[in-house]
Amino acid sequence: MRITLVALALNLVLLPARAAELRIGTATADITPDRPVPLTGNRSVRIAREIDSRLTANVLALESRDGQRTVDQAILVSCDLCVIRPGIQEGFRKYLAERLPGFDLNKLFLAATHTHAAPVLLQDRYDEKDYGDAMQPKEYVPWLYQQMAQAVVKAWESRAKGAVAWGLGHAVAGHNRRVVYSDGTAKMFGNTNDPQFRGIEGYEDHGIHVLCFYDSQKRLKAAAITLATTAQAAGGNKVSADFWHDARRLIHERHGEDVCVLGFCAPAGDQTPRPQVNKKSEERMCTFRGLTYCQEIGRRVAGAFDDVAGVITKDIHADVPLIHRVRQIELPARIITEAEYAAAKKVCEEVDTRKTRAKTDAWMRHFHGLVVERYLAQQKGGWKTYPMELHVLRLGDVAIATNPFELFVDYGVQIQARSPAVQTFLIQLATSGPQPAYYVPTPRAVSGSGYSAEPTHNMIGPEGAQTLVDRTVEIINELWKMPTNQN
Amino acid sequence: MKIITTCLFAIALMVAGAPAAELRIGTATTSITPDQPVALDGHRGLRISKKVESPVTATALALESRDGEKTLDAAIIVSCDIVAIRQGILEKVREKVKPRLPDFDPAKLFLSATHTHNAPVTLEGRYTLPESGVMKPAEYAEFMTTRVADIVVESWQNRRAGKVSWAQGQAVVAQNRRATYADGTSKMYGATNTANFRGMEGYEDHNLDVLFFWDQQDHLIATAINVPCPAQEAEGGLLLHADFWHPVRQMLRERYGKELFVLGWTGAGGDQTSRPQYGKAADERMRKLRGLTRLEEVARRIVNGWEDTYECARKDIRSDVMLRHCVKQIELPHRKVTEAEVAEARKEAAKYAKDPAQLWNYRWNHGVVERYEAQQAGTEGSYKMELHVVRLGDVVIATNEFELFTDYGVQMKARSPAVQTFVIQLAASSYGYLPERAVRGGSYSAVIQSSRVGPEGGQVLVDRTVEIINTLWKK
Repeated sequence: MRITLVALALNLVLLPARAAELRIGTATADITPDRPVPLTGNRSVRIAREIDSRLTANVLALESRDGQRTVDQAILVSCDLCVIRPGIQEGFRKYLAERLPGFDLNKLFLAATHTHAAPVLLQDRYDEKDYGDAMQPKEYVPWLYQQMAQAVVKAWESRAKGAVAWGLGHAVAGHNRRVVYSDGTAKMFGNTNDPQFRGIEGYEDHGIHVLCFYDSQKRLKAAAITLATTAQAAGGNKVSADFWHDARRLIHERHGEDVCVLGFCAPAGDQTPRPQVNKKSEERMCTFRGLTYCQEIGRRVAGAFDDVAGVITKDIHADVPLIHRVRQIELPARIITEAEYAAAKKVCEEVDTRKTRAKTDAWMRHFHGLVVERYLAQQKGGWKTYPMELHVLRLGDVAIATNPFELFVDYGVQIQARSPAVQTFLIQLATSGPQPAYYVPTPRAVSGSGYSAEPTHNMIGPEGAQTLVDRTVEIINELWKMPTNQN
Repeated sequence: MKIITTCLFAIALMVAGAPAAELRIGTATTSITPDQPVALDGHRGLRISKKVESPVTATALALESRDGEKTLDAAIIVSCDIVAIRQGILEKVREKVKPRLPDFDPAKLFLSATHTHNAPVTLEGRYTLPESGVMKPAEYAEFMTTRVADIVVESWQNRRAGKVSWAQGQAVVAQNRRATYADGTSKMYGATNTANFRGMEGYEDHNLDVLFFWDQQDHLIATAINVPCPAQEAEGGLLLHADFWHPVRQMLRERYGKELFVLGWTGAGGDQTSRPQYGKAADERMRKLRGLTRLEEVARRIVNGWEDTYECARKDIRSDVMLRHCVKQIELPHRKVTEAEVAEARKEAAKYAKDPAQLWNYRWNHGVVERYEAQQAGTEGSYKMELHVVRLGDVVIATNEFELFTDYGVQMKARSPAVQTFVIQLAASSYGYLPERAVRGGSYSAVIQSSRVGPEGGQVLVDRTVEIINTLWKK
C-alpha cells in the first residue's frame, strides 16, 4: 500500500508541467459603500462621508485545460482594501461555497492594494463608539462578500480561451520611507532635512511587472500589474482607491474601458509612493502637469504599463503551463523579549486605567496587547511559529508568489534574484490567516528600530522572513524542474 | 587667497540681495578621440584600444551673469568622456586658457568625467606600456587638454544672452552594485542568485535632474543631464567609446537638433552601475523585444526621462537668474589605515612588486603602505579638495572629486535649500571612492585601498557643501 502511495506521489510530482490551453475570465466589482464608513489604516478611526474615487475588486480567473480536463486553476482578486484581515479570506471562501462548482476554493486568493482610505473590516479594530452612524464593519463585510462573489462567479463562468504575455517596465512609484540618522536609529517618514540624516535605510525596487491577458482575437482583456509600493500616495478622509484609480483610468482611456486592471503590491513594507527627498521639485513638477501627487503616480504606473504593453504583443502565448501550488507553511515567529513584554504591558495598563478615553486607545491596546499575549504564550512554548498560506504559481515563464505581510523590499529582491523564472511577480498583503500579519523588517531595520521594525508590528522577524524567502524559492524551483511541453 | 576672496564676494552679493542679471550662455564641443591606439583607463589590467566604437568628446558650457558690461559671476563647466580628471589635467587646461581669456578667472573653470572605462589613460605610471605603437598618456593628455582648452575659449567667446530652465524627471538607470550576504560582507558585482544573498547594500537615486539652455528665441541650445550613475554599461574590452552618453547625445540631437550641446554630468554614483544586478533575464528579454543593445536601452530610459520633463521646462524659461559661483578648497580628513590593513597591503604589494604587468595592483596596495607610513610620521595631513558650488536661479550645482557613494548625494539633496540640487562627482580632480555604510561590508570600492577618504571625510564634505549652498541662499 505504502509503495503504491509513494509511486502515486512520485507520479504526481514527475508529471510534466504541460503547456495547455489557457482559459481566462475577468470581472470587476464595485466595493464602494454608499454610506459613511469608518476608514482603516491609521491609529485612530476616520469616518469618510465622501468618495474621492471608487473602490473596486478586480478578478482574474485562470484555468489551464487539456481537452476537457482541468490541469490547474487560479482566481486572483485584487482589492482596493488596506489589508485582507484575519478571517476575511476564509469567510469569503465559505461564502463562495457551492457557487463555483468545479473550482477548488483553495486556489482563490485575495490581495489588498493597501489603500488607507478603505473601510475597516474588523469590528473590533477600533472602539465601536467611534463608528457613530457610519456603516459598521460587520455590515460592510457581508456586503463586500456579496459584491466580490458576483464578480468571482462571473469571471469563472465567463472564462474563455485566451492568451498571455508578460513584460518588465520601470517607474519611480515607490520610495523607501525609513530614514537613518547618525546615531543609528531609523524613523519611518523621518525628516531628511536634518544634519543628522545619513541616508535612506534600504532599497527601492522600481520594476513594474506586467501580465497582459488577451481573448482569442488577441484583444487585451486584463492587465495585472505588480510594483513595490503601497497605495498611499494621497491619504485623507475620503474613500479612495489612491493611485490605482488614476492608473486604471488612464489604462482604460488608452486600452479600452473593458480591460480589467488588477493592481498588486509587491513586497513594499518599507516603501511609500511619497518622496522622502526632493519634495520641492516633485511638487513643482506636479504643478506644471496640473496633477496631484496621487495622479502623478498613477501617470507613472500607466506610463510604464504602456511602455511594456506595446512591446510584449510580439510575444503572446496561448499555450502555457499553469501550475498553482498552495502550501500552508510555518515560519519562525519573532520572539518577544522580557523588556519588550514589560514595555507593552505598561502601555496596556496605561490605556486600561486611563480616565479619559483617547481615540487611539483601541489601536494601542490591540498592538501592545498582542505583544503581551505573544510573550506569555511563548513562555509556555506557544506562538513560536506563524502559520501562513503561500500561493506559488507558474504561468509560462513567469512565477507568481504571495505572502500576507508588509514585507520589506529586500526580501522581494532576494526572491526575484534567486528565482529561475524569467520574471517573478510578487504579491504581498495576499490571503489572510488566523493571525494578523503586519510588517516584516530586515536585520538592518531591526537594528535601526522605529515603527514597522518593532515587536508591536512584527509577527515574524528576519529569521521568519528568511524562511519565507527560502520556501518560496524552493517551491518555485520545484515548478521549474517540471518538464514542459510548451510550444 | 583669490579663492577665498571670490567666495566672499559671492556671499557679499547674496547678503546685499544682489538682483538677478542678464544670463549669457556659450557652448562648444570637441572630439578628444585619439587617432592612434591608446591605453584605456579604469581596469586593473592593461588594455590597448583596437578600434573607436564611438567618439569620446568634451562639451563646454560657459555661463556669465552680467549687469550691463560688468561681469557679476561666471562658470565654465566641461563634461568629458573620460574615466576621471586625473591629477594635473585641470591645471594644464587652466594654464592654456589663462593667456587666451584675460577676462575670465580660470578658477571658475572645472572639468568633470563621465567615468567611461573605455577612454584613454591620461596619467603616466598607471600601467606598464609597450615601448612603441601606443600613444603615451602624457602625449594624450597634451592632446586632450589642448582640445579642451580650445572649447573653453570658444564657449566663452561665443556666449550670448540666453535663458535657462530646469526640471526633474526619473530614469531607472542606476543600480546599486554592491550585493550583501548573510555573513555581513558585501561584494561589488557579487552574485545575487545565491542562498546567502541578502540584498543590495545601498540606495539608488533614480531622479534625473536636467538643465535646459535656450537662446533668446526660446530655441534649445544645450542641456545638462545629471544621472547618478557612472557611464560603465559596456565597460571592458578594447573598444574606445563614450558608453551610454553617445546614444543619449545621438537620440537627443536626432529629435531636438543636431547642433544641440549635451553635457553628461555623473551624479553621486560610486556604488552604482547601469547593469542590472538581479532580474537579468527579464531585462534582457525586454531589450531583445525592443531590438536594442544595452547601451541603447540605458539611453532610451535617460532620453524618455528627459523628454518627460521637456514640456514642463518650456513652461518656466527664465532669462534673469542669479548666477553665483563659489570655489573653495576644503579640507577632508583622510581615512585612517589600520595595522591589519597595512599588513595585508604589504603582503599584496610584495606579491605584485616584480611583475610589470601587475603595476596597477602593486600601486593600489603600495599606496596603503605609503599612507600608513605618513600617518605614523604625522605627515599625512588632510586632503584639500576643490569644491565648486554654483547657484543658477533656484538650482544649485555642487561638485566633488570622488566616486561618491549615493548616500552622500542624497544627504546633500535632502539638506539643500535649492529646488533642485545637481551633484557632480569626479569633478576637478579624482581621489578614489568615498564609501559610507559600505565600509562595514568591505570589498572593492569600500576597502582601504579604494578609499583615501572615508565616512568621516564624507560627512565633512556633505556638511561643508550644504553650508556653502546655504550661504548662496541666504538673503
